[in-house]
Amino acid sequence: MMNTLKLYVKSMGMLIRSHMQYTSSFIMQMLAQLVMEGGEMMAVILVVDRFGSLKQWTGGNLFFFFGMMSVSFYTTEIFGRGITGNFPSMVRSGQLDTLLIRPRTIFFQVLCSGTDPRRITCIAVGVASLIMGSAMSGVVWSLPKALALAESILMSCMLILGLFLIEAIFSIHSVKSVELVNAITYGGRSACQYPIDVYPGPLKVLFTVVAPFALTMHVPAAYILGKPLYGWPAWTAFVTPLSGAAVLAVMIVLFNRGMRFYRSTGS
Amino acid sequence: MSYIEVNGLKKTFTVRKKREKGKLFREKQTVEALKGVSFSVEKGELVGYIGPNGAGKSTTVKILSGILTPDGGEALVGGRVPWLERREYVKHIGVVFGQRSQLWWDVPIVDSFSLLKDIYRLSAADYESRLKELTEALQLEEFLRTPLRLLSLGQRMRAELCGSLLHRPELLFLDEPTIGLDAVSKLALRDFLKWENAEHGTTIMLTTHDMEDIAALCSRVMVLGHGQKLYDGTLPELLEKFDTVRTVSVKYDGALPDIKLPEGISFERGENELSITYAPSVFPTAKLLATLQEAGRISEMTLQPENIDRLIAAMYKEMDL
Repeated sequence: MMNTLKLYVKSMGMLIRSHMQYTSSFIMQMLAQLVMEGGEMMAVILVVDRFGSLKQWTGGNLFFFFGMMSVSFYTTEIFGRGITGNFPSMVRSGQLDTLLIRPRTIFFQVLCSGTDPRRITCIAVGVASLIMGSAMSGVVWSLPKALALAESILMSCMLILGLFLIEAIFSIHSVKSVELVNAITYGGRSACQYPIDVYPGPLKVLFTVVAPFALTMHVPAAYILGKPLYGWPAWTAFVTPLSGAAVLAVMIVLFNRGMRFYRSTGS
Repeated sequence: MSYIEVNGLKKTFTVRKKREKGKLFREKQTVEALKGVSFSVEKGELVGYIGPNGAGKSTTVKILSGILTPDGGEALVGGRVPWLERREYVKHIGVVFGQRSQLWWDVPIVDSFSLLKDIYRLSAADYESRLKELTEALQLEEFLRTPLRLLSLGQRMRAELCGSLLHRPELLFLDEPTIGLDAVSKLALRDFLKWENAEHGTTIMLTTHDMEDIAALCSRVMVLGHGQKLYDGTLPELLEKFDTVRTVSVKYDGALPDIKLPEGISFERGENELSITYAPSVFPTAKLLATLQEAGRISEMTLQPENIDRLIAAMYKEMDL
């Protein structure tokens, strides 16, 4: 276990050093990310500016929701880039072969094979939005609320990783699924920046049952903001996020099963 | 029981054909990459595995290194089934792909090695001593701090070899290791493989298209074609069967005389040179020489054995590959 953790940290260190080999391009891209994520936040600012509120959610509440999504999504991209970005091309190029000859699980090795440190600026935007939202909403922080926030972010990261694994599983069977899966990964990110109850029925079902962002993110966030979603009791804010871990666990099992059908490429 | 036991190994791939006009789905086509290949290899053997592109060489290596699961047949390496206990099994083998790097591209190669140390859970002492031994044998000391991407192809292949042998595997697979290397690098690589095999008794199985690799290294060669094993034995014995023709080039003083050669002997007339290809078993060399000498005054003459690559091409042709 310790050895595994050490290996992960060492791999990440090495990947970051690889990124730093191209310093100027790294800085440029970091700035580009900042502009992009800043633009996303601008959209929320415009909504708040124009309408003041969305249903029962105030402007401050909306910034909080936005911040939760940014932090979760880009943290996943930093720590799980191997899954969220590299995997399909590793299958296509046959680079996956080189992982199969190592005495470690494939999932772990893929996780060790990529990081995207440029996303740090996106996370910074998310954190700023969280702080802003919490201050504007007048949240009184307590230990349970802090725990709910930490759990929510962790579980959302697991959920996002699990959703990206769907694309990975498709790609093992050499099926290009990008558009389909993007609808719930990147689509989920864009849609679930706003609380689930502003959406009509079908989208509610999609993001509660299929890709449960509402459970990992909106239920605890609403609890922290003191406006429980659907009037659910406080304990639900600690239980529903666990669905994120459940999705990831199921996807890892399916992923390992899918690896048996891996067929490599010619050389 | 032998170290590697392979029995009736089968693998088929499904390939989707291009979609035909007017049809909704693409048709599928199955390709039999391996149609029941069997062989056994003893510990410490150095075996070459040859065959034209698409013969199933890489598929065999991939199955035996745990990357692919076969559709039929059995394989046991050192008492383990490669694809069933992959993680336990791969601790004991090393694999080098000639066309695919296993080290990290942008970092100094010694950093890659140090990561491999953790991947294989090697002790610090084991790692240090093995690294020292391998960097000396492969003359890598001066490049240890250089990122992989700045190394030449030959240096890179040496680094790959070092990386795949750090955990002291009992068995080493090499998939076209000399591809694209210059003469000096090839020779160095062969010397190293001989050394590793003699020094540590590492069993080595290599696929190649370079016959010199086989001639220099392998006591045993297997030929694979259309997914079947066609030959298993020594290289000289294999060549003897196909090594039937010789080429003679002759230059004469003055103009080329008109020579009458029996039918079945092909020759080319150059400006002042005559090049004749004949089979000594059919037309004795002594008789040919006599005929050539009668025709005029010979000023220069060379006699060549057939090129080894041509022999292999002839062999593939005869085996209908």
